[in-house]
Amino acid sequence: MTEESGQVEPADVMLLERARNGDVSAFHDLVDRHAARLFRTAVSLLGNASDAEDVLQETLAGAFRGLRAFQGLASVKTWLTGILVRQVAMHRRRAGRQEARLIRLQAIEPVPPDVPAATGRVDTRLDVTAAIRSLASDHRDVIVLRELEGLSYDEMAEALGVPRGTVESRLFRARRRLQELLKGYLD
Amino acid sequence: MNECEHARRLSAYHDGEVTGAEREALESHLAQCPACAAELARLRRLSNLLTQAERAEMPAGVLDRLHRSADDLAAADLRRVAKAFLTAAASILLICGIWLWQANGAAEPAEAIPVWESLAAHQQVLADGSEERLAQWIIQDLERKNGHE
Repeated sequence: MTEESGQVEPADVMLLERARNGDVSAFHDLVDRHAARLFRTAVSLLGNASDAEDVLQETLAGAFRGLRAFQGLASVKTWLTGILVRQVAMHRRRAGRQEARLIRLQAIEPVPPDVPAATGRVDTRLDVTAAIRSLASDHRDVIVLRELEGLSYDEMAEALGVPRGTVESRLFRARRRLQELLKGYLD
Repeated sequence: MNECEHARRLSAYHDGEVTGAEREALESHLAQCPACAAELARLRRLSNLLTQAERAEMPAGVLDRLHRSADDLAAADLRRVAKAFLTAAASILLICGIWLWQANGAAEPAEAIPVWESLAAHQQVLADGSEERLAQWIIQDLERKNGHE
């Protein structure tokens, strides 16, 4: 809970409980709290805002339908992230071959070691973003959720629906790949 | 590439996901293994670099559309619940109607067989030839019917 003007805001779980009991304004409050973060995550996972909004709409619909099934074993944040991740996976499957072609086109060569690192903040941001987007989807997911969204291994395992050990090994390989792609900035 | 057998746990150590005895063992190893120490340093530089990735700001229009969708979801849910309620109510009414129809059909008790129609009475009349008794029974039966109406 957070405090604003001396008034304690209800916890996410309380809002969800109210929404489950038919309080639509409580569901709107959950949207206000989590939409920006979920949108940001979706753009990082999918690479564009249009797809991110589509997936976010599906995520909200899934959350609304799943209100009664929420058991409180994970936080509302992790629960919503899990729905988002599954919707992203469905979107990728629908995109299918089209997605694979786009990723290959976006794949970048490692930054040559003789290029000075940090040539400019804009270049760095573009290179880093492109490197993340060039990763295979399962590597991209763990990098985004860990490095950009700060989820713990347990939260990531819950959201991705995989064992904790899988999260760890994917992160290990994803970071090795990123070190290759961005070695001009790291050495 | 760091080929040390402990390298695979460095990623988890870097994330603070290694605790207790294993954490202590790794820290002891890091003090003695330059390759792992260098890899841990690269992991920290990588995490720092990744914070510079583009983070999309959500446009206001997106939030508005999400809220409209939330209203649509709630309205659709109400319609679904109302439809289910009406269907259940209609089913209950139908079942009650059928039950009442069947109950009315069996509601009136079978009219008691007039005494004078019963086989036993008939045999009695034949036995004692008492037509007067038969007449009395008929009168009693008619009086009973008139009493019901």
